[in-house]
Amino acid sequence: MNHQWTDRLSEYLDGELMSAERDALETHLAGCAHCRDTLAELRAVVARAQSLENRAPAADLWPEIHARLTVRRRFSLTVSQLLAASIALVVLSGGGVWLALRDGSGTSDPTMAAFPQLVAPAGTPVAWRARTDMAVAQLEETLAQNESRLDTATVRVVRQNLGIIDRAIEKAQRALQADPGSAYLNLHLAQTMRRKIELLRRANALAVAES
Amino acid sequence: MLTTLATLAALTLGAVRQDRDPGSRDTTVAVQPGARLDVNNFGGEIVVRVWNQNNVRVRATHSSRSRVEVSSTAAAVMVRTAGRRGPPSIVDLELTVPAAMAMTLRGHYTDISVEGAGGSVSAESTQGDITITGGTGSVVVKAVEGDVTLSRTRGRIQVTTVEGDVRVADAVGEVVVETVDGDIFLQRMDAPSVEVSTVDGDIVYDGTIKDGGSYRISTHDGDITVGIPPSASVRVMVASFDGEFDSSFPVDVQRSGKHRFSFTIGTGKARVELETFDGDIRLRRPGEVNVRDARNRNQNRNQNRNRDEDHDY
Repeated sequence: MNHQWTDRLSEYLDGELMSAERDALETHLAGCAHCRDTLAELRAVVARAQSLENRAPAADLWPEIHARLTVRRRFSLTVSQLLAASIALVVLSGGGVWLALRDGSGTSDPTMAAFPQLVAPAGTPVAWRARTDMAVAQLEETLAQNESRLDTATVRVVRQNLGIIDRAIEKAQRALQADPGSAYLNLHLAQTMRRKIELLRRANALAVAES
Repeated sequence: MLTTLATLAALTLGAVRQDRDPGSRDTTVAVQPGARLDVNNFGGEIVVRVWNQNNVRVRATHSSRSRVEVSSTAAAVMVRTAGRRGPPSIVDLELTVPAAMAMTLRGHYTDISVEGAGGSVSAESTQGDITITGGTGSVVVKAVEGDVTLSRTRGRIQVTTVEGDVRVADAVGEVVVETVDGDIFLQRMDAPSVEVSTVDGDIVYDGTIKDGGSYRISTHDGDITVGIPPSASVRVMVASFDGEFDSSFPVDVQRSGKHRFSFTIGTGKARVELETFDGDIRLRRPGEVNVRDARNRNQNRNQNRNRDEDHDY
């Protein structure tokens, strides 16, 4: 494998390489399955990010991402940054997550707080996941305080389904340990974590409505 | 529904039979064109039918412990139920409303049924089944536990539930469905955009694949079956961690990573994304999509899972 091209793949994808570089990269791609796979994953990530345009949260974070994806010859995201940005979009596409994360961020700049990967060159999906875990922990703690307001049947349903989501998260995390670079697995984990956050939010909202 | 009834029984402190001595109310109010129906019924049923009159008729059956309030303004007809003392008990509401009337229906332990709606419908119940026939412009359903069944809707559908199956049939318009533990069946759909996902359940989509359309279908643990019409022009992207892919017609697969592959039918004007972490993905021609098979497979799977859980104890 020759990884000298790996961080040029997003430039290639955006058509930003000079023709000689493009030709050289395409020659390399013909013989490098690793780079071909990475390029395909990148394409999928970009497509996914674009497909989320209509689901951006109320804070309207999409323009930030979109600008960075499309600005020519000024900024190019690495593979891990693109993936991290895409995961951020997936999880944040539930608007309430935004608030949960912002509240825990301790910063006055919500855009930067929600997208540390975009300002930190070494941003990785792993770093973002830690923030999501924190938001989940906060929501779980709130639910533990509030759930006595809910009837037992609703608590049972919520707990059972949180268990289902937790098992799904565990499986995705196990798969990721074996294949940490997989865009699909990273995005799948992000989607599943988003589902957990949404359910916790919903249960908390129901509990508040009961009081 | 059993849970709903059990919970209601608990709420009424074991005096359900005694308290079900029927009270009743039958009220008809005139409504202005464009007025909205707004119903909140803590437990029981909300049944809505339509007629060609500019009136709303409210028939309520309830115990002497409950009361029903009907009020109206130029903008809305409001129906509320409450307990005379202590917690609310069961109230069954039957409403007949103008065909085009938009409505918001809410309940806690409440089954909701709407037949023939011609306006927008918003229905929300914590525990109970929700069935809607008709609905134009927007049909929004929120539930925690209970099955959701929609048919003959025209407009955007948005369903969010936690535990229960979602069935949509003969619908025209954009569809967004999310559940955690339940199957999703979309049949005879005419949709330019579909985004459906469950964590634990099967998904079946049988409908049009429109040029320029976007169809995203994902589950964590379950099978996906999609009908692709022969005339479809579509780019299909498939991702699965542990599952098999099967198409009843030939496709030219291009693998694009360990867990992904894609292929194009025609010139790829629509976009279909299919993802299951642990399950099979099947492409079928429209006449080959068999919802009953999918349901049977899922029932078997649930039985096996319940058996496994029983053995865990």
